[in-house]
Amino acid sequence: MSVAATFTGHGHAHDHIHPEPTGFVRKYLFSLDAKVIGIQYMLTGFLFFIISGLLAEVIRVQLLVPKGALLSNDAYNGVYSLHGSGMVWMVIIPLMTGGFGNYVMPLMIGARDVAFPWLNLIAFWMFPIAGVILFSSFLIGAPDAGWTEYPPISVQGPPGTTLWCVAIFLIGISSTLTGINFMVTIVKMRAPGMTFTRMPLFIWAQFATAALNMIATTALAAALLALFLERVFSIPFYDPARGGSPLLWQHMFWFYSHPAVYIMILPAFGIVSEIYPTFARKPIFGYKMIAFSSVAIALLGFMVWAHHMFTSGMAPWLQLPFMILTMVIAVPTGIKIFSWLATLWGGKIWFTSAMLFSLGFIATFTFGGVTGIFLSAVPVDLHEHGTYFVVAHIHYVLYGGSILGLFAGIYYWWPKMTGRMMNDRLGHWHFWLTFIAFNVTFMPMHWLGLLGMPRRVATYDPQFQFFNDVASIASFVLAGSTLLLIYNMLWSFRYGPKAGPNPWGARTLEWQISSPPPYYNFKTIPAVLKNPYNFGEPLPYIGLESMAGEDGHGPDPHAPVPVHA
Amino acid sequence: MAVSALNATHEAIVARYDDVDPVYGEQREHRLLGFVLFLVSDVILFSAFVFAYLYLRNSVPNWPPINKDGVQLPRFDVALATVNSVVLFGSGATMHFAMESWKKLDKAAFNMWILATIILGIGFLSGQAFEYHEAQITWAGSTMGASFFTLTGMHGFHVFVGVIYLIVLFIQANKGVYTGSKYFGLTAGTLYWHFVDVIWVALFYLFYLM
Repeated sequence: MSVAATFTGHGHAHDHIHPEPTGFVRKYLFSLDAKVIGIQYMLTGFLFFIISGLLAEVIRVQLLVPKGALLSNDAYNGVYSLHGSGMVWMVIIPLMTGGFGNYVMPLMIGARDVAFPWLNLIAFWMFPIAGVILFSSFLIGAPDAGWTEYPPISVQGPPGTTLWCVAIFLIGISSTLTGINFMVTIVKMRAPGMTFTRMPLFIWAQFATAALNMIATTALAAALLALFLERVFSIPFYDPARGGSPLLWQHMFWFYSHPAVYIMILPAFGIVSEIYPTFARKPIFGYKMIAFSSVAIALLGFMVWAHHMFTSGMAPWLQLPFMILTMVIAVPTGIKIFSWLATLWGGKIWFTSAMLFSLGFIATFTFGGVTGIFLSAVPVDLHEHGTYFVVAHIHYVLYGGSILGLFAGIYYWWPKMTGRMMNDRLGHWHFWLTFIAFNVTFMPMHWLGLLGMPRRVATYDPQFQFFNDVASIASFVLAGSTLLLIYNMLWSFRYGPKAGPNPWGARTLEWQISSPPPYYNFKTIPAVLKNPYNFGEPLPYIGLESMAGEDGHGPDPHAPVPVHA
Repeated sequence: MAVSALNATHEAIVARYDDVDPVYGEQREHRLLGFVLFLVSDVILFSAFVFAYLYLRNSVPNWPPINKDGVQLPRFDVALATVNSVVLFGSGATMHFAMESWKKLDKAAFNMWILATIILGIGFLSGQAFEYHEAQITWAGSTMGASFFTLTGMHGFHVFVGVIYLIVLFIQANKGVYTGSKYFGLTAGTLYWHFVDVIWVALFYLFYLM
């Protein structure tokens, strides 16, 4: 009996589900199942993570000696441009939304899939195509103006810059579609009783992220389209010689890319917000404040883009509001950090690998946030802009924030995704190596920046060599530490103990069903009575019992029909 | 006579609601929200280019600007654009009537109105093609040409896609894809067509009147 036949009878769309495909192609390659698509995103994103990471190592090898060890200046420009573009658009954003969003979000809200599975499939396949286009730009001359591709350099740049436009445009469309899909899923498909203030915090984060993706990304699409037109058909938008304005690009680009910073960090906030209460065995502190601060960050994120342009030339009276609004963003972020600390306070903490990465996240992300406050102050920014201080800042928030959050999420949900545990001792080694090597790599960059070393240079003054060598050597350790994660994954497939449905004793819905979850996620859609964080109380779900101890081959047609609110 | 007509209407209304399907109802809600969100993101795309236009416009002392050969560029032809606007707004009205006819299960009127919409849409595109042909500025010649042809071209592309969409809807409706209670495709088509109209209001003001 097909699953679809059973569930259409229940009379609700989220009971309806397409039948489980059987062939390899429909099951693993072009699946409509959000869980499979999520894993596809993760594998593809991890591959691009390795490529972009190797590009970073090429940068660090180059900077071992002041004259540059490896590359010509032009080749170096291409390497750092694609390292940045790859990490932002092909790694962090797809992993945060497409990867963890697709896998975890429908499970957490008690849905069987996202609202538009076909749209999800299409959005996913744009991603590897965009990645291949982006990295293939090396073949015809890689873009050389950094990940921000400011005109007029990008207008005059090598042919690969056009491919860069196409690739980022494509991944932008993919993000927009995913944003729309997730908005509808979260608004319309939550289990009965799961009101907005009973949603897990990861869902709040995904909701704010989806809104940003949906609204901001088309502004980037416009900027890219204009750059594409200017490069291919010489339509004047940015070239000052023909009446255009390079600053126009910066406005349009940062109107997207500042919210994109929050697209990259909000899901990580969501991931650690799940992990802290689970491993501190305490209710989350300040549930509503954490939830609403995600939305506040998303809203404020649209009002601060020009703080990237203090040195580009802007009306002096505009600098003050942008400076103040940028500092204001630290308030909702600080609310989250203090709420997490209060969640940990007095808890009996279980130091799993996922928890270690989450704790490391607080330290490094807060550090990166504080240097962000430095940079928001106009007088400091005038001094630090375009130096290694900025490089250090973005790596503290993007590696120390987003990537550590992603690692935490991998260790946390791995048992759910594969049904097997990872090696916790190896995970500890991975964490400590990563954490120490990360800080040794990027901490000296603050000092380099304060001493005046500019970013994006292939050669540098000999006085900067010591700190550059420290950073380079530590970065090799950092890259090597990722091998431990890969080894741990392989180890888990072969030797990992069976995880069972809920190895962490977590309380969100995805842990209440088998690992890995069945194709249709939930036999019966449960009803939700409270938010999931009240450790010490019984689970706030009704209608889950009928799932346990059955044959596991399909929903029980005699199970009571859940009440839909 | 009047009584039998009333009875027929009553039967039609009953027929409209007796195949109400909760699965469809919920899917319809999802699709409607998804479609509206898509239109929102599309508004941002146009807004970004409108911002670009206003930014470039404000960065020169006079508008229309002087091109690279020192020639003062002309203003756009308001008369032609006005005729074109009337055609497009008229198509908004006919689309509205098409949708209303469908809701009243009057298929003949629906066919007439949607065909009128398609013809008016093609009329608008022809008018725009004529305008492009007669234009005294070029796409690549100035920032004025760049923003004008990019924005109106994007809008024209939306109208073009809309015309194709309406033709598909017309064929689908006559093949019996939609019923009196299940017609989300028509709702989406109507929303899209009105959206294209509203974008044109902004573009008309920005390029021809401002």
